[in-house]
Amino acid sequence: MTYDMIIIGGGPGGYTAALYAARAGLKVAVLEKLSAGGQMALTSQIDNYPGFQDGVDGFQLGEQMQQQAERFGAETVLAEVTGVELKGKEKKIITSEGAFYSKTVVIATGADPRELGLPEEKALVGRGVNYCAACDGMRYRGKTVVVIGGGNTAVADALQLSRIAQKVILVHRRDQLRATQVYHDQLLRTPNIELRWNSQVAELLHDGKLTGVKLRNVRTGEESAVQCDGVFVSIGRAPITALFAGQLSLDESGYIIAGESTETNTPGVFAVGDVRTKVLRQVVTAVSDGAMAAHYAEEYLASL
Amino acid sequence: MAAVNLNHQAFHKALSEGKVILVDYWAPWCGYCRRIGPAYEKIAEEYGNQLVVAKVNIDDEPLLAQQQNIEVIPTLILYKDGKALDAVVAPESKAAIDAFIHKNLG
Repeated sequence: MTYDMIIIGGGPGGYTAALYAARAGLKVAVLEKLSAGGQMALTSQIDNYPGFQDGVDGFQLGEQMQQQAERFGAETVLAEVTGVELKGKEKKIITSEGAFYSKTVVIATGADPRELGLPEEKALVGRGVNYCAACDGMRYRGKTVVVIGGGNTAVADALQLSRIAQKVILVHRRDQLRATQVYHDQLLRTPNIELRWNSQVAELLHDGKLTGVKLRNVRTGEESAVQCDGVFVSIGRAPITALFAGQLSLDESGYIIAGESTETNTPGVFAVGDVRTKVLRQVVTAVSDGAMAAHYAEEYLASL
Repeated sequence: MAAVNLNHQAFHKALSEGKVILVDYWAPWCGYCRRIGPAYEKIAEEYGNQLVVAKVNIDDEPLLAQQQNIEVIPTLILYKDGKALDAVVAPESKAAIDAFIHKNLG
């Protein structure tokens, strides 16, 4: 069987593409490895998605987007994609549940925050380990948090958290920041931000919930324990595109090169949401991409 | 078949009967536990005739969680012949749970 559209990834971009394509009468399947929602499923309160004046739970929003697309006939398959063949008219997607064939493919695999790579880091997510100050900062009102990183995002996160938390400790592995100068001045003027240079997090301390971090000075090797209620890992994001290298044009950071039309350099293949080269990576821009991809996929199918 | 909720009595009973049991230790406040939920239900559907696919809410069963050395959640433990065979913390995908079961049960 050949689908009209296979969508890889069940986040907001993927399910919006599914919704629009299914409503246009296309035969659509979404391949999702775990559950709907993608990154937003780990955020319990989204306050910048319009239509929910009291905010909305990201996991629930993901499930609702899934159900809405399924109401119009989109299918969901819980499968992990292990390989793709995107050139040619019939595209092949190889997964843990077998091979799927489709005339068009929408890539909605998203991006992952870069991790520290420490044991139990994943298991402490939501229990003290965070990757998004804007999403999870509010939980740390009056508390002590550690921000890890030295780029613009890390410094912006530290500044944002300094208005919420009692104390912010910025940990950076070098002796100067990569962040632009405007941030430096602001940082130095903020009394409740403490800087720890030349330091790396060696260990996450926890009793089931994060209680602190062990820092290691990269020059002296000296270790010290710092008590804190939360850690924000701000060392960048990584698009999930390893499977597509060599078949689609990627930029130097690994994002799939596609404009607002979401068309990639391969006919019939579209990229939506965080995985695409774009300025603003948000739920609202991901859903917008999904609608665009469905539109251009319909055009492409009509031309076949 | 849906994943069954076990309390400590039901857990120990199933264990003493030598059943093969997969337990997802979780709690309602754990974000990643929720993400695993739909995939875990699918696992229950697919493997329900070979093993008991179960869930333990560690807030309701703190002693059981302590006995089983659950430090972080979600932790999945596979039990066979009355003992814990293997564990996996925060699996990334349904395929990872499939692989965990196959690795241990063949």
